[in-house]
Amino acid sequence: MNDSIVFNVKNLNLFYGEKQALKNIEIPIYKNQITALIGPSGCGKSTFLRALNRMNDLIDECHLDGKINYYDQDIYDQTMDVIGLRTHVGMVFQKPNPFPMSIFDNIAYGPRCQGIKDKQKLKEIVDEALKQAALYDEVKDRLKESALSLSGGQQQRLCIARTIAMKPDVILMDEPTSALDPVATLKIEDLVVELKKNYTIIIVTHNMQQAARIADKTAFFLMGELIEYGDTSTLFSTPQYKKTEDYITGRFG
Amino acid sequence: MSMLNKRKVYDITMQSLTYLSSIVSIVVLLAIVFFVFQKGYRLISWDLITHNYQSVTYTADLKEDQESGTFISTKTFDDGSFYSTKWGIAIKDDENLIGGTSVFITYVHPDSPLNALNNKGVGIEDLSVDVDYQIIRVAFDGASSALAIHGAEHMIEVWDSQDSFRELEFSTTGGGIRGSIITTLYLIVLTLIFALPIGVGAAIYLTEYAKNNRFTRFLRQMIETLTGIPSIIYGLMGLAVFVPLTIRLTDATGANIISGALTLTVILLPVIIRTTEESLKVVPDDYRYASLALGASQTQTTFKVVLPNATAGILTATLLAIGRIIGESAALVFAIGTAVKDDIRLTEKSTSLAVHIWSMMTDEPANIELSSTIALIILAIVLVLNISIKLLSKRMLRKQGVKK
Amino acid sequence: MQHVEIPVIKQHKEKRIKDRFVKIILLSFTLLSSSFIFIVAGTILVKGVTPFITNNNGLGSVSFIPFLTGDTWLIGESFHSNLYSIGFIIASTLMIALLSLVVSFPIGVLTALFIAKVAPKKLANILRTVIELLASIPSIIYGLFGAGIILNLVYNFSAAIGYQSKGGNSMLASILVLAIMTIPTITSISEVAIRSVDKNLEEGSLALGASKTQTHFKVVLFAAKSGIFTSAILGIGRALGEATAVSLVAGGRRSGYSFDLLDTTSTLTTIMLEGMKETIGLDYDIRFSVGIVLIVVIILTNIILNFVKRKVGNVNVK
Repeated sequence: MNDSIVFNVKNLNLFYGEKQALKNIEIPIYKNQITALIGPSGCGKSTFLRALNRMNDLIDECHLDGKINYYDQDIYDQTMDVIGLRTHVGMVFQKPNPFPMSIFDNIAYGPRCQGIKDKQKLKEIVDEALKQAALYDEVKDRLKESALSLSGGQQQRLCIARTIAMKPDVILMDEPTSALDPVATLKIEDLVVELKKNYTIIIVTHNMQQAARIADKTAFFLMGELIEYGDTSTLFSTPQYKKTEDYITGRFG
Repeated sequence: MSMLNKRKVYDITMQSLTYLSSIVSIVVLLAIVFFVFQKGYRLISWDLITHNYQSVTYTADLKEDQESGTFISTKTFDDGSFYSTKWGIAIKDDENLIGGTSVFITYVHPDSPLNALNNKGVGIEDLSVDVDYQIIRVAFDGASSALAIHGAEHMIEVWDSQDSFRELEFSTTGGGIRGSIITTLYLIVLTLIFALPIGVGAAIYLTEYAKNNRFTRFLRQMIETLTGIPSIIYGLMGLAVFVPLTIRLTDATGANIISGALTLTVILLPVIIRTTEESLKVVPDDYRYASLALGASQTQTTFKVVLPNATAGILTATLLAIGRIIGESAALVFAIGTAVKDDIRLTEKSTSLAVHIWSMMTDEPANIELSSTIALIILAIVLVLNISIKLLSKRMLRKQGVKK
Repeated sequence: MQHVEIPVIKQHKEKRIKDRFVKIILLSFTLLSSSFIFIVAGTILVKGVTPFITNNNGLGSVSFIPFLTGDTWLIGESFHSNLYSIGFIIASTLMIALLSLVVSFPIGVLTALFIAKVAPKKLANILRTVIELLASIPSIIYGLFGAGIILNLVYNFSAAIGYQSKGGNSMLASILVLAIMTIPTITSISEVAIRSVDKNLEEGSLALGASKTQTHFKVVLFAAKSGIFTSAILGIGRALGEATAVSLVAGGRRSGYSFDLLDTTSTLTTIMLEGMKETIGLDYDIRFSVGIVLIVVIILTNIILNFVKRKVGNVNVK
């Protein structure tokens, strides 16, 4: 089956000042699939992820060449509206970072920034997002309470709900469970698998087993290069390159 | 053995010096507070705050519908006052501010016709007499005038014997600080209106927008240098720049409150910028990233997420600013002038509370009592401000603890 | 093959324009704030240099060297003379500032030592609050206190040693007022410096058999030298720039070099405050000239003291 391509990355070279962080990355990301990015720390997987929604723009010394196409548009083209891009490509961070506001206001933040003021509409959006993030039942009676009163796992699901409220196309996740306990981690993994029905998900993880559990495709990064990319099952059982095999079998990393 | 003794002597000497030095600060603080309190508390009253500084002399006569009558009062005047039942007024002899004796009003019957007087001179039409006013003379058609130098008793005797009087010359009480208080309030409000937007705005730019390069460092350095300049130099600048500026833009003819506020703005900018910057820096970057990743613009991120979390810091900056405004003297001597006024206009000279003290103390003779009273008020306000800032800082620290 | 809808990315043009607009406004506020230092310096310089390079409306320009070294504020009548000089004022300003530091420095540093190392916690907190309160008292109130109490003290003191003083207005009174104003600055900064001294140094000294007091004075204070010195620099800066407080106790001397503590005196700041009658003309401009001298004196003192600080610091490093 010909899955459509959401992101098509060609010849991506990314630099922090003089240092090259990504070398010649070429990778297609497929719609409605979970793509996992694995590799030892410092290999550039998070950097790559942040390039997809241009969060790297916030770092002064960062510059790149190459093409990152979101469908048919080069996202680094002059005419690309970064704010608009980010409403299509959302991001969940490693450490849960809810705003010090109420649960409701957290989720309504994005829509409000886009100009949605109608109270009824906002409530619909918030409820919908909470349900999709499997958090609704737990907080439906305390939407006005501070988001900081939730547990770590709940906060992260809140952040996912917050992202979903923008009805994005793609959700980028940067090690979303590394700060959580195993129970919360599993809950989020189940959630991610559910979400892929409606969203395209790219997840950076330092935990290979997590990739093996939930990802459709896996990409292995090492020292800024994309070593291997393919179906998860294939990559883990019969990796093409020795470096991949070494990493997977735990010889380093 | 003598080495040990030598060291003991050294130890004891240095320790005593240390203890003595520390006592100095306590002694000084207590001395200042005690002195200011002792000299000043006597004048504290509600009247002090509401009265004019200058006393005004009026010449008045009765309004047409008013006449003498019988105003019995059940009050006993045992302080040497003399009461006239015909006019409903009690007066007595007492010492005035320059050491002589004058006739003071001690009581006015609520129905007394003296509550509705006509001003024979220019200015306000309706006058009335009040407690603590001084009566200078009362002129009659049917008798010779009763003058203050003849004493209160004589005045009451003559007055009681007459059914009407031609004119009443009296003066209002002065020595109130209403004018200076209003000036100080105007100053605070006006200065904050100028200084907060510029200061907070600059702090936001430096923290959220500016790149970390030499130019930005240069800008910061230029702002920091402002803190080392003595305030009298700012006064000179205010005189040379803001006074002509306000003269040209408004109908001011000399130093005025607006030029004072502008001068104070320049003095306060570094403090406001520094304090605000610190509280902005404490807001975790995580919030900024989350907001931007959700598709918010930089402006939205700054004003909807970052700034609300820095309000405690901005409040602290405001309180610090208010404290500085109230205490500032040297700069304002030049920028607003030293004329103590009762009628306060933004485009005219007047004095803030601190400058009022200076103005009185450089007069001949120096009015230490009233100065101390004002000092007492200033100290009380400064104390309250300091406590508030302390509490705010504690809250800020606690908030950070919860978050991390 | 699935039919794929290519999402259209909305242009947030308004938001971008708003972002740029806001950024420009904030930048202009920043530029404005940074420019004030130039406005202040520029005004003082321009106006202050005028008496020396213009004709002052027929009075003739003021000669620079006599201005700096002369001993009479104004020879002749104001508006009719250009013979201003502040030499004697510069001398007394420096003397007053230095002597006030001589008084406030030891007291300030020892108090800091007490708070940081010697006092039990509760007492230390109380004392720290006392210092903070003293630091927040406006300078005019110190002046009031000076006029009320310190003048009396000096008057009685001078009477006791047989000297007729002018109601107590004197250099000594100025020194005392400035000293008590400077103590909080010195104490608070020195305290921070003392507290940041590495505990290892202290313990090393004690382990060698030195007493606590010896440790404090020979090791701790020495190690905190740099911060303590900074406090002195800031202290003297404050003393040089103080105006209204000193003006109430100085006496307003108009001429004559004097190093007599009980003589009346003037400082650069107090002479600026005195009897300004007009807003144009030499009498007005000359105050800016005094302002220039004041700033120069402050900058020079800072440079010299910083130089000394670095030299003294180097000795320690070796």
